[in-house]
Amino acid sequence: MAALRNKSDQEIKDLLNEYGIKHGPLVDTTRPLYEKKLKEAMAKAKVPVTKPSPDRTFYREDQEEVTYVTYQTPVRSEGPSGDGKPYMRSRPEYSERDRVDDKPYSRSRPEYSERDRVDDKPYSRSRPEYSERDRVDDKPYSRSRPEYSERDRVDDKLYSRSRPEYSSGRPYVDEPHVYNTLSSSSYSKPTPVVKSGGGVVKKENTTSSGRLIPLWIQFLVFLILAGFLYFIFTNMESAESSPFNRIQ
Amino acid sequence: MSSTSQKHKEFEAEPMGEKPVNALAGIGEVLGKRLEEKGFDKAYVVLGQFLVLRKDEELFRDWLKDSCGANVKQQGDCYGCLREWCDSFL
Repeated sequence: MAALRNKSDQEIKDLLNEYGIKHGPLVDTTRPLYEKKLKEAMAKAKVPVTKPSPDRTFYREDQEEVTYVTYQTPVRSEGPSGDGKPYMRSRPEYSERDRVDDKPYSRSRPEYSERDRVDDKPYSRSRPEYSERDRVDDKPYSRSRPEYSERDRVDDKLYSRSRPEYSSGRPYVDEPHVYNTLSSSSYSKPTPVVKSGGGVVKKENTTSSGRLIPLWIQFLVFLILAGFLYFIFTNMESAESSPFNRIQ
Repeated sequence: MSSTSQKHKEFEAEPMGEKPVNALAGIGEVLGKRLEEKGFDKAYVVLGQFLVLRKDEELFRDWLKDSCGANVKQQGDCYGCLREWCDSFL
């Protein structure tokens, strides 16, 4: 590592090319940056050598898990993928991802609630992971707004997706449940857990969604406003008709 | 960045000349001081660094982060400012 300092410019350039790092001319001001990049690349390159490849897959699944919480599209595509045995295929994928669900998953309904509690860790983990990622990404000020709305959008997806799925998921067999599960379980989690007295998850739900005013209140206000406007409108209509009468 | 700040607009409006480094978008007092300590006392010196890094976004962002501790937003603002300046004048 320290030897990087002593290498000539040409050697550094060769190393940069070897690691495929884009670079410009090597000048006094750019050299420290490239040295740092080389250090990182070397450290990264060492990792797969020491650890076996399954761990590499593990890391990718980690990423997938996080991506899943953010976007949810990979899960969607994985669910119905494959004609013959969609459920069979997505099941191991899903359980692999969860890492906790391996056995209970093969059973059905009674396991559902159990899995919810078991799921708790990945669920609560994936949330802080996501928020942690946001915090890592940037600390300050005005970006927290888009962060807020970005997370809101994510949560909206979770909300809007899991709601219909939750209502339809229960009477279904647990297969469609495969790819819904994380979303529906993550949504349904507040309810069973709250019943069991876990105010933590509910709080997490509200804090992670980041709404100052709960969603249902917003809808209610909207409906009241719409009703009010409709009321005014209908009244206006009747008022219009009276001038005609007067003329006649 | 969809919208540009006032600073960005002011910077783009005219040749940078001898403007100090904190005239750059994203570079405030604190970051400006740190850059000056490293020898980047004028905006054109940072421009020079930007050009030497081949106007590459990632490299420039990394460099900015290392040299003055700019966060992602600040990096983005500064990069955008310089890139647009280059697009207009270079």
